[in-house]
Amino acid sequence: MSNPWIAIGALAVVALAIPITMMAVSSLLRPRVPEQGKTATYESGEVPTGSSRQIKFNIQYYMVALLFVVFDIETVLIFPWTVIYRDAVSAVGMTKALLPMVVFIGVLVVGLGWAWRNGAVRWVRSPRATKGADTYE
Amino acid sequence: MQSAPLPETLANLVGLDPNSTPVMIVMSLVGAALIGTLMMTNTALAGPWAKRKITAAFTDRIAVDRIGPYGLFIIVADAVRLLSKELIVPDGVDRPAWDLAPLVIASSALLGFAVIPMGSGIHLADPEVGLAYVFATASIASVGLVMAGYASNNKYSFLGGLRAVAQNVAYEIPLILTGASVVIFAGSLQMSEIVAAQQQALIGPIPSWYAFVNPFAFVLFMIANLAEVGRNPFDIPEAPTEIVAGYQTEYSSVYFVLIYLGEFIHIFLGGAIIATIFLGGPAGPGPASLGIVWFLVKIWGVFLFTQWARSAVPRVRIDQLIEIGWKGMLVLSLANLLLTAVIVGVIA
Repeated sequence: MSNPWIAIGALAVVALAIPITMMAVSSLLRPRVPEQGKTATYESGEVPTGSSRQIKFNIQYYMVALLFVVFDIETVLIFPWTVIYRDAVSAVGMTKALLPMVVFIGVLVVGLGWAWRNGAVRWVRSPRATKGADTYE
Repeated sequence: MQSAPLPETLANLVGLDPNSTPVMIVMSLVGAALIGTLMMTNTALAGPWAKRKITAAFTDRIAVDRIGPYGLFIIVADAVRLLSKELIVPDGVDRPAWDLAPLVIASSALLGFAVIPMGSGIHLADPEVGLAYVFATASIASVGLVMAGYASNNKYSFLGGLRAVAQNVAYEIPLILTGASVVIFAGSLQMSEIVAAQQQALIGPIPSWYAFVNPFAFVLFMIANLAEVGRNPFDIPEAPTEIVAGYQTEYSSVYFVLIYLGEFIHIFLGGAIIATIFLGGPAGPGPASLGIVWFLVKIWGVFLFTQWARSAVPRVRIDQLIEIGWKGMLVLSLANLLLTAVIVGVIA
């Protein structure tokens, strides 16, 4: 059995080579006709206003990303347990194999409940966004 | 059921020593090119042709039928048309990131196929961390989407990028946790082991595919997968009626092709993961050499399902999306994980 990562590296090379080849072929084929107005940012045909890097976006996007970091690390910790679980049950019995993980997930669920209660997973709307449209809350 | 990885098979086929590293590097490249070509063929068939035909069938139209039999040559026509379009670089784009985003989206999706056992001996690599590797590579696309959304200097793109990442992170956890519940059954992350564990009969002629053993996990995984590949009801990152085309609004020519390509490869990667961990991989009636056929049937089945959802299910709002993901799917997937552990513990 050879090292499987050689083959994975080879696929990485191919996976980069295919798009780069397509870019190269396209650069040979495509025309270049610079015109005034063609390069304007698309804003439904209106004259673009301001930079898009200065717009204020909903804080909720940040909250869910933060929550994700917590739960993603949790999945990393769960994976090794799932691999050895079957053997662990026959070796030390079900209680010893399962109970620590139940406690661990229990702590996480309490954390999720806390975030839930504090509105981290409820979409906040600005008063301007909901003005005159708060009938469907 | 255990067969040698593809590079080894190729080395033996041409009569070279599979133990020398240079031979393996060359054979790996050949094998990787084969996998790449296979997936590109699938995507070429799906993107410009099958997708149109399927959507047309759902909405009672005819779709492409002018060029070639059943309109099949539209694939060639579309490839030439899109690659020969002018590349418009909008004002104020963040240059290296804007150019790299399509590359990241397209390449990362292909990367996952390295560890997928496709049957008939087409299995490029079989590392012990197989399933974790697939989930890891499938997530890289989110980075590309954020790059595209931010670098485009377009408000629609920016919103689309934000929505894409909010959606991907919300459904990533249920996806991985449901995948982990399969690992409890199989006791291994290695793809060949997971496939081998599904070969016994469950009841009568029904094989013990994990979709039959644990249908609840299968349904959860299918839903989370729809969100991961951004198809209805979870297509708000692109929502054409709200934010034009989301993160791909400012992309034209070959960059548009690459983002589109990445999306379709991603759908097939999702299908390949589902086929491998829930539908017995390349297993099916008939001799083992038919494996690749059954594998393709399964990933096209998942593709058909995503297109069906795309035609039939209305889009959810962003607040609904977050609530379904964090309050519904996450709790259900944790419950599924613990329940699976209890059931396996009682049986074992």
